[in-house]
Amino acid sequence: MNTFFQVTMKDFRESIRAKWFLMYCLIFGGAIILLFVLGITESSVFGFTGLSRLLITYIQLCVAILPILILVSTVRSVVGDRESNILEYFLSMPISLGAYFWGKILSRFFLVFIPLSSALLGSIIWGMVKNLAIPWQVAGYYAILLGTLSWCFLGLGMLISTLVKKQEWGLGLSILIWLILLLFIDVILIGVMLQQQLKESVIVATAMLNPIMVFRAGAVLLFDPELTSMGPASYVILDYFGYHGFLAFAILYPLFLGWLFSWLGFYRFKKGDLV
Amino acid sequence: MIKIKDLTKKFGKTRVLDDINLTIKPKDRIALIGPNGAGKTTLIRIILGQYLFNGELLVFDKDPRGNRVEILDRIGYVPQLPPPIQMSIGELVKFSAGISKRSSVDAIYQKANELGLDIEKNIKKPFLKLSGGMKQKLLIALALARQPDILIMDEPAANLDPQGREAFFLQLLKSMEKTTMLLSSHRVDEIINLINRIIEIDYGKVVHDEQIAQSGFADKMLECRVILTNKHEAAIRMLNDWGFNNLNGEQDYEGRFIGAERLRFLTSISHFANHIKKLDISEQLNI
Repeated sequence: MNTFFQVTMKDFRESIRAKWFLMYCLIFGGAIILLFVLGITESSVFGFTGLSRLLITYIQLCVAILPILILVSTVRSVVGDRESNILEYFLSMPISLGAYFWGKILSRFFLVFIPLSSALLGSIIWGMVKNLAIPWQVAGYYAILLGTLSWCFLGLGMLISTLVKKQEWGLGLSILIWLILLLFIDVILIGVMLQQQLKESVIVATAMLNPIMVFRAGAVLLFDPELTSMGPASYVILDYFGYHGFLAFAILYPLFLGWLFSWLGFYRFKKGDLV
Repeated sequence: MIKIKDLTKKFGKTRVLDDINLTIKPKDRIALIGPNGAGKTTLIRIILGQYLFNGELLVFDKDPRGNRVEILDRIGYVPQLPPPIQMSIGELVKFSAGISKRSSVDAIYQKANELGLDIEKNIKKPFLKLSGGMKQKLLIALALARQPDILIMDEPAANLDPQGREAFFLQLLKSMEKTTMLLSSHRVDEIINLINRIIEIDYGKVVHDEQIAQSGFADKMLECRVILTNKHEAAIRMLNDWGFNNLNGEQDYEGRFIGAERLRFLTSISHFANHIKKLDISEQLNI
């Protein structure tokens, strides 16, 4: 096995024992169980009921909490290892910096994505048991969306982790970024649009730069093709991209951001003091 | 083996290493000494390719940063503080053996066994949950199993019990002819019998660099008999810590230790000089 996979497996084994991972599994596994228990499959929104309704609610939940959970857990990885001397020890071994950094990201991606995809898969299996109609297209698209959003915030988390000197700063910065992104979903955008202080193109660009907004709009688009349930910014965005264009954009943009952040993080990591 | 020229390292405006010039040759066994904050650990980390610096550094005639995998495969490193690794011992052993061409699981088991650590017995225990001494033994075994050309250890014997220290020094003595050693320590007496050169760093500068004569009995087992003037509790505790046995219920004690530990033993017992009636140290056997 080459060093990259050795590091990936090492980090996976290390992290799977961490308390954050247990909490993370409980939150995302527990959320889907709770939605079933609360009878969300019996309710209806925009004519959607059953498993589609459940998935829509689940994905909305993920919009809010997935980015911050990924940031909080990832932002500690490099700086945390540095503070605890783990980095000093493992980087005294014959491991390339690329293998260390990318192996760590890959293992984190599995750690973050496995509970999410397991929750989706579990809900489908449960739906089959309960003879509910299975929305394969929605479930598949949501799985990809969750994967790309996870990748995006993993990259951002790793970048922050290489930039800060202390875990506390990393956590603070993560929460600040998350809050800003969350505020710029629709709340602030609507306000700005209402006041008509900015050009439409600026508002749309602001919305399109926000990966949480893109994810949210992409997720809603499947059951609300005109995005009427969202803010006015989303409605304008749809006009620019079209239905299929936006679905593709919602996948590709976070993917691109994830790579960009990761590469910047790696560059910062290998060009500075390692410990 | 290691060439350092005009090396300077700053953290912000603080100059931690200041214009260091050193050449470390094959078979040098160096005690890198100096007070806390002198720059010992920083120098070690630079050699390991972990810090950027100004100046020149070549390890095996190569830049350690640009050729890290090749160079680090030939260096064994034991840190001062064992890192809080969550992996089980078995996983850590496999990982360490897997990333180095020069190491193997069998070699690690053998080295650990020679140091008095039974890996098989603790194989499922997380590294984090081991005692300080066991962690140190495992880290030493992982480093030695790679048969390194350079062995770098930061306060290597700090967490070891007397038996562990004895086994550890024996391991180092075995490697002496093939391995260049850089042993960082606060106290030179701990490692004096292993080394042939002392480098002292203070305020980021090399203030002392001296070749010293090799002790002739570092690898010999010494027998020691101590007769105390009275039953002094602290002295008896110290002798017990060194594994000494009381001979006749009186103040007569007997024990043994490896020659490499002689100075450390004498330093320890010197605190009780007023309570010693007789002290006899003699060579017991060759190892």
